[in-house]
Amino acid sequence: MGLALIAGFSTANANQDGLGPKITLPENSEGKSCLFPSEQMRREHPDMLKHDRIQTLREGVRAQADGKVLDGSLKQCVNCHAIKDASNKFVRIDNEQHFCASCHKYAAVSIDCFQCHRDIPEGSGDFHALTNHKDVNYSNVAPGTYSLTTEDMANIAPEVISDDN
Amino acid sequence: MTINNENKNNGETASSAESSINLEASRRNFIFGSVAAAGLTVAPGMMLYQTANARSLSDFSLKDGASSKVRWGMLVNTTKEVDWNKCVEACNKEHGLGNEKDSRDDQKTQYIRVVDVKNKGTGYSMSLPVMCQHCENAPCVDVCPTGASMKRADGIVLVDRHRCIGCRYCMMACPYKARSFVHEVLTDQTENTPRGKGCVESCNMCVSRIDNGQEPACVEASEGAIIFGDLNDPETPIAKILAKHGGKQIRADLKLNPGVHYQGI
Repeated sequence: MGLALIAGFSTANANQDGLGPKITLPENSEGKSCLFPSEQMRREHPDMLKHDRIQTLREGVRAQADGKVLDGSLKQCVNCHAIKDASNKFVRIDNEQHFCASCHKYAAVSIDCFQCHRDIPEGSGDFHALTNHKDVNYSNVAPGTYSLTTEDMANIAPEVISDDN
Repeated sequence: MTINNENKNNGETASSAESSINLEASRRNFIFGSVAAAGLTVAPGMMLYQTANARSLSDFSLKDGASSKVRWGMLVNTTKEVDWNKCVEACNKEHGLGNEKDSRDDQKTQYIRVVDVKNKGTGYSMSLPVMCQHCENAPCVDVCPTGASMKRADGIVLVDRHRCIGCRYCMMACPYKARSFVHEVLTDQTENTPRGKGCVESCNMCVSRIDNGQEPACVEASEGAIIFGDLNDPETPIAKILAKHGGKQIRADLKLNPGVHYQGI
């Protein structure tokens, strides 16, 4: 379903006529391209990711992705495609500005890559977006630190502790 | 778990420990030989690997993946005066462990357990780190219903979280109590160890470090008490020491042929 939608607006700039999702591209991405042309990436990236996760994890191939010399791990995708907001902080997956979310939200695609994987580059601080910390105001937290104010702590909803082991 | 904690041959293993120290100088080089410190340039201005012993693309496993010619293993020398908790700390830092907030202590993930054993007869006591033993005939791999618990070609046993359904059968099967289950939504994972709620996990011998030409984190933190290397290559220090002085596997009677060997137990 999501793929069909993506394929539908995969010609050139999908947002040119105001239709389709507004895909946020990383800074300085002008003139750069991903592994393959955008049209192909839009259509085939799920298969590529599935293929690469088997290659990297199960087969240990770390320096080659789809025939090209590149780290096939998802972290490589995230490191290139990370988006910064107006306050120069990386946006999380629950933000529509996030590269993945910018299209997936429009296409109603819910995938759970980022329940385990980082959604922003390492060392950039912040908690994960898919947790009960997501309502916390991070604006006072410097990148790379995890100190929260008492106000922030109050916003963190207690999670139900289950007894099953 | 039963650990053979008899104190026989203690003097002998202590002297063998000293001889193994001499090999420590070559510790840096024993994984892949001496490789120049040049990083691997993928594209202008973009470096993939910057470690001191980074490999070049022509090396076998970067391009071709894990090779069955290699069998990674570790040798733990428990006769050395080492604080094993340092290894645990290094492990936690490398894999981003310890970020559970609501789990009980016995639920929290640990890749390395420090086990204290005591011989009541003689009063001799010691402690040893017990992590995934990376068995050749791993019971966790046998029982996994989805193929998530797997052994890589180079002998590393790990969980493919893409396939893990969290049934915890492998935790039951493992005689070393090496596996943990993640009970809660996790925050701030490291980029090399994605981990999350509902999956079983265990020591993966720092597989991403190995693939980048580095030693496992616990080996680096162990001050030479843990040696890492290829068990299949008789020229590696780990194979030489094992050939000369021998080593023990925990619960060797189970015939699982673990890749982790111990001296002094």
